[in-house]
Amino acid sequence: MKLSEAIELLTSTYQSLDAVALGLPVDAKEVADALAKADPDSAEYVALQALAKVNPYENTKKEKVKQNDDYNQE
Amino acid sequence: MALPNKVLPGFSATIYCQPGATPTPLTVANLSVYASVSPVVIVGNLIPVEAIPAFGQDDAMANFNVAGSRQSDKIPTQAAPTSMTITAAWNPADTNLLLIRNDAYNGTVDRTFVISASDGTNIVNYAFNGRVGQFTVDPNPTAESKCTFTIHPRGNQYGWSNNTV
Repeated sequence: MKLSEAIELLTSTYQSLDAVALGLPVDAKEVADALAKADPDSAEYVALQALAKVNPYENTKKEKVKQNDDYNQE
Repeated sequence: MALPNKVLPGFSATIYCQPGATPTPLTVANLSVYASVSPVVIVGNLIPVEAIPAFGQDDAMANFNVAGSRQSDKIPTQAAPTSMTITAAWNPADTNLLLIRNDAYNGTVDRTFVISASDGTNIVNYAFNGRVGQFTVDPNPTAESKCTFTIHPRGNQYGWSNNTV
């Protein structure tokens, strides 16, 4: 599902945001990126927060780079 | 400006209602957005209540027996939003009390209400959608006339916002 569609659905619903977000398959990285750019005082931000809660994004690449650095130091 | 960061005194909160006979309540996401909620928080939308009752969520739990344990276990279960029974000095021509009265007679009008608390500088808003159940007028001759109404908040339709941004 497109992130914009999910946001539109979440910003227009009268149901529980957490419950609705559970049924919206979106890309976690896309959500994290959009959340970082969103205005904190906007409906989109609230919707993205609900999506981020059920689609947590972990920056594994960054962690791997750090791990490699640690190995190199050793 | 930030969220009020002190214990607020009584009378620091006021309640406002969306205007109009057939309002479109704010969506759940917008109930947490200060920019969306603050247009409701204007003098013209003020409900002349005597005090703001308790608001939030009721308690609900199930008690489970745990074999072999001295104590049983209590698990929170689905809880209802707290209904708000409010008393206001009755002015028969007050626009907002008339809205409330008509909502009560109708029973299906969803309206956004906002409880706004302030420490004088900073503001925190609790916005929720609700329907009005009860509306009674008490014309007791020993005191000023009062009307009492009950707002039943709709489940999951609430949000907090403040003027931090």
